[in-house]
Amino acid sequence: MTCSDVERVLPELLDGASDGAFLPDFDAHVKSCPVCSDLVSDLKLIASEARQLAATEEPAPRVWVRIAAELRAEGLVFDSAISDSATREPESAPARPLLVPVPGSPRWRWTALWLAPVAAAVLAAGAYVISYKKVVPQVAQQAPTPQVTSPPPVIPAATPPSVPATAPQQVAKEPANPTGVNGAVPAVEAAAEPAPSAEDRQFLSVVSTLGPSTRATYENQLNAVNADIRETQAYVNRNPGDADARQHLMDAYQQKALLYQIALDRIQ
Amino acid sequence: MASFRKASVRQAGIQQTSMNNTAAVTLVLVTCLASAAFAESKKEYRFTVGPNAIISVDTQYGAISVKSGSGDQVIVTATLKSDSVEVDQQQSGSRIEIASHLLQGANEQTGRVDYEVLIPPDATLNLHSSIGPLSVEQLHGDLTLEGTDAVVNISNVENCHVVVRTMRGPITLAGVRNGHVEIATISGDIHLKSVTGPLVLASSGRGKIFYDGDFGAGGDYKFTTHTGDIEALAPADVSAEFRVHSVLGRVHTDFPLLPHHSRYSMKAGSSFVGTAGKAESAVVLRSFSGRIRLKQR
Repeated sequence: MTCSDVERVLPELLDGASDGAFLPDFDAHVKSCPVCSDLVSDLKLIASEARQLAATEEPAPRVWVRIAAELRAEGLVFDSAISDSATREPESAPARPLLVPVPGSPRWRWTALWLAPVAAAVLAAGAYVISYKKVVPQVAQQAPTPQVTSPPPVIPAATPPSVPATAPQQVAKEPANPTGVNGAVPAVEAAAEPAPSAEDRQFLSVVSTLGPSTRATYENQLNAVNADIRETQAYVNRNPGDADARQHLMDAYQQKALLYQIALDRIQ
Repeated sequence: MASFRKASVRQAGIQQTSMNNTAAVTLVLVTCLASAAFAESKKEYRFTVGPNAIISVDTQYGAISVKSGSGDQVIVTATLKSDSVEVDQQQSGSRIEIASHLLQGANEQTGRVDYEVLIPPDATLNLHSSIGPLSVEQLHGDLTLEGTDAVVNISNVENCHVVVRTMRGPITLAGVRNGHVEIATISGDIHLKSVTGPLVLASSGRGKIFYDGDFGAGGDYKFTTHTGDIEALAPADVSAEFRVHSVLGRVHTDFPLLPHHSRYSMKAGSSFVGTAGKAESAVVLRSFSGRIRLKQR
């Protein structure tokens, strides 16, 4: 049994939906593979915690709608994927994924359990993943298959071998849709200054409360940091093996985080 | 004719004197009116604290200057530029919080409060001012200074953590011994003179970094800029391993360094790795597109 096999059968095993025919192989692999062992431990913990949640603590429907909209806007999922998922959903189930398991729908239980954390993670990392894999597919193919997470049903892109900690800002900065549905431009071609991301617009909106000159100051700094990020990202895309350049990319994102933090401190 | 000229000159002199007097009177009046309008006032607060006190001063607009005082006393002198701002002060044991409280309609001028603070030398200090300047001298407690545009000056501190964050404000540290230093600025310049310690981190996005010192003995020094230049000035007998790399810029060294193995690929003109002396300290100078110079004093 390989890591991929473990990822495939794990939801069924944890749901108790499997007949357990492959349990010996599964156990043997998990004992010998620290990555899968960690994965199983994590998922058991998630499942345990999730069962503690009361139905009343579920996020409101608008949360799921917004997540779906965000995924769609980022080009990470397509309408067909969402609608297909919706059509597979049992009629008796609500129109949104569930955090709390519902008897009789084991597949959906795990889909939902995975969707919540994965959606958040993918929102953060997706753009980077896609642009990274698009520009340097040969590197991605040579790298080991990711073992830490399993791809959720509605997410077409796989998790990268290693996602820099700075990826969240990347989502906002560079649209990730390789098909260009949202007018996205691949990072390597992103020489022109793109429109501000949603989070940057929100950031500027907030700092506007400090006055027009302050807003202008922060906007200038934000533009400069974003320009540095674009510049470095483009270089990294051209030179994926340059570890130091990748470190500079992370540094640039940390600069952006610092800018946000300074603004936040001032507003508070 | 001559007497007429003398009279004209005398008359012109009288007129000039009169104009000067008028200007002076006007200036005094304007100053008085301005002072009255801003209603500047000075207040003093005194606190008694135990060892290792924690003192925080937070002002949106204004300077904060902190120096080492005596024993167990904290003395805060606040100069308020108008009635549009108040000073909130709170003591909980040895923790003291001082903050400017802007009232309705306060702006950068009327909301300004300048602080002069004397604290026990071992106190932990947290300062925040948007426009600064921030100044700290002769302490050995941990320091955290944050400011948006604030100029930051820290001098003669030792055996402490020093954390500084600014957006644009330039940062200068001088005479920091045995410090654990972490500096981050988005576009401000960083000047470090005689700064040594087990860890010295300096990071600027667009600013420059200058270091003048001997890199101590046994410390980690990491200076990083994105587009800014880095210039390090060290004595001939420096004892350090240097790793210097600019992705798109140029690097230069005056030192006859001994080659040293590196896991990174070295490219002539844009990177070098080498040791000087016993290589007691590790020095990493990195820039994405700036120029890096390692100069011998």
